[in-house]
Amino acid sequence: MTKNDFLSTLTAELKRRDMADTQEIVSEYEQHIAFKMADGYSEEEIVAKLGDPFLIAAQFETDDSQEKKPGAKWLAIGALFILAIPAALGFLMLIVTAITLAAMAISFGALAVVLFADLNVYSLIPPMPYWNGAVFGLAAAALALLLAVGCVYYAAFIRQLARAYQRLRHNIMASASGTAPLPNLTIFPQLGGKTKRRLRLLALLSFALCTVSLILGILAAILSTGSFQFWHSWNWFSGASAG
Amino acid sequence: MNPQYKKGVLELCVLSLLKRRDYYGYELSEYLANHIRIAVGTVYPILRKLRNDGLLTTYLQEESGGPPRKYYSLTSLGHKQFEKDRADYLEFARIIEEILEDGTHDEK
Repeated sequence: MTKNDFLSTLTAELKRRDMADTQEIVSEYEQHIAFKMADGYSEEEIVAKLGDPFLIAAQFETDDSQEKKPGAKWLAIGALFILAIPAALGFLMLIVTAITLAAMAISFGALAVVLFADLNVYSLIPPMPYWNGAVFGLAAAALALLLAVGCVYYAAFIRQLARAYQRLRHNIMASASGTAPLPNLTIFPQLGGKTKRRLRLLALLSFALCTVSLILGILAAILSTGSFQFWHSWNWFSGASAG
Repeated sequence: MNPQYKKGVLELCVLSLLKRRDYYGYELSEYLANHIRIAVGTVYPILRKLRNDGLLTTYLQEESGGPPRKYYSLTSLGHKQFEKDRADYLEFARIIEEILEDGTHDEK
């Protein structure tokens, strides 16, 4: 067998197996033969020592066997595509919930500002003495803070879930194409230990503040009007607010 | 020798050689074919497999009066894998040796 016989057989066999970098492989054998010929060996001798090109090509294939399972990759792509639809819907739902949570936090924050600053925009706030309103404002502010903390937690959860999902997709493709998979991600930890502790403290404090100021606000309202039904004393539902 | 078995040992030999210094494919295949009875051409598939597994990297280096040579170099993963495989192999070989020596002993 001549050098050209060897190389063309090898090329054909590699191409038949759909090898990704046939040219690169063959060029290494070309170089090998060139080195040997420079040392004065004959083509036949060199090619005989290299071995059977059919067997060599087969060896490359077994090395790439996971990579070259023709169906596996497409199967994985199909599976990921089907998985993508419920996953996208799930993420959409989670994100919408997060936005709702954020909107609630902003609303209660706005309510607090309105009560503190005594800005009765469009007479939306039922009439009451300023200090009673301010105590309720404090409750609203604390609730806004609590919701904001919840929102941060929730966002971190979604982020980690998205990462875990991305990693899962990556690993499904990796296993189908024969490359090394990365370790799977868990849902935890979403936040660092320090951030977590601070957020937990903030959540507890704002919850406590919200509860306490709400109770205080109601008590103050009852005491200042001398009635358990303080809303009647302030004419909330008698049309007075409209007038 | 069983070809699968030989292949595993060859991989270990390639890693061991590359631990000393970087080699280009020609050197490695000639060296191994001269020491172990294998076809020279069967070393390149092993090099490629080890590279695909992330144990080796390659780089091209210009040589005076010739095309650039593709050198193989051990990655940090390759170093770790080599230490592990080397220990495994030596342990395995020690046990086999023990068994084989016991075998000849009993026959006497």
